[in-house]
Amino acid sequence: MMKKFDKIQEKNPFKVPENYFDEVSRKIISATSGYIPEIKKESVYRRLKSYLAVAASIAGFVLISYITVKLFVPDKKINNLSDIDLIEVSDSWINDIDILTLEENAASLILFEQMPEVDKTDIIEYLLLENIDINDIYEQL
Amino acid sequence: MSNDHKADNDIHELLKSDANKGFSLIVGRYSTRLYWHIRRLVILHEDADDALQNTFMNAWRNIGNFRKESSIYTWLYTIATNEALIIINKRSKYSGTSLDDLAGYFANSKEGSMWFDGDEAQEIFQNAILQLPEKQRIVFNLKYFDEMTYEDMSKVLKTSVGALKASYHYAVKKIENIIMNS
Repeated sequence: MMKKFDKIQEKNPFKVPENYFDEVSRKIISATSGYIPEIKKESVYRRLKSYLAVAASIAGFVLISYITVKLFVPDKKINNLSDIDLIEVSDSWINDIDILTLEENAASLILFEQMPEVDKTDIIEYLLLENIDINDIYEQL
Repeated sequence: MSNDHKADNDIHELLKSDANKGFSLIVGRYSTRLYWHIRRLVILHEDADDALQNTFMNAWRNIGNFRKESSIYTWLYTIATNEALIIINKRSKYSGTSLDDLAGYFANSKEGSMWFDGDEAQEIFQNAILQLPEKQRIVFNLKYFDEMTYEDMSKVLKTSVGALKASYHYAVKKIENIIMNS
């Protein structure tokens, strides 16, 4: 059956005015020459969006953890931690830890401390971009 | 990668260095085939002419957003198909002339016959295609006349390859039945 179709379609039955394709191409090219549409560059926010999302979720997690500890762990218990005798601790388990492991952990802590502190205004600016109410932001800060 | 995609690589490069020159190359390469794609959908030359010019103006306005990883070929066919559908919808909304009526218009009016030069078999064939539902008609045309791959068609029509194959199969069956019964 498709062969029958092919036989029918050997000749294009539709007609177009003479020189139509030359003329229409000329018309389109002249209508589009002279100006170049603006090529949109990806904004800084768009490029950093995924990083900002990760940063925001970490910040959110820290905030929730902090609030949870504050709400559910009584203040007394937290304060009591400092009362634990240092000698008692060192006697119990800290002696078993390899000194090299301690050094490695300390190195990562030092690196963490060297990270630049994020300015408060930057955080506010970012949260505003995320359409978070200004009152909520100030409440949290 | 089909030949159409390979051939478009040079246009991608030219668009970056000289947008006007690159676009002229696009117009030269695609105006005729897009015209025929549109014409087979809208049928009338005047409508096809409008839709073709709208297609290129639309493409030019959005050339800045065009990404290298996309294909110029499928991008233009998507725009052209949309422009053709806009014209078809306008026609049925404002003038009350549907494509079914156009089949009669070609067969009977003097003006219609000016733009149709087919014999009886071609007239039956074109009328059979016009009786297909819109989406099936587009799939049939793209496969049968433009010889587009199902993968490219899937990008143009945002439909899965399986659904397009089924659509084409039903379209062929329907056309066969119409031709047999005429």
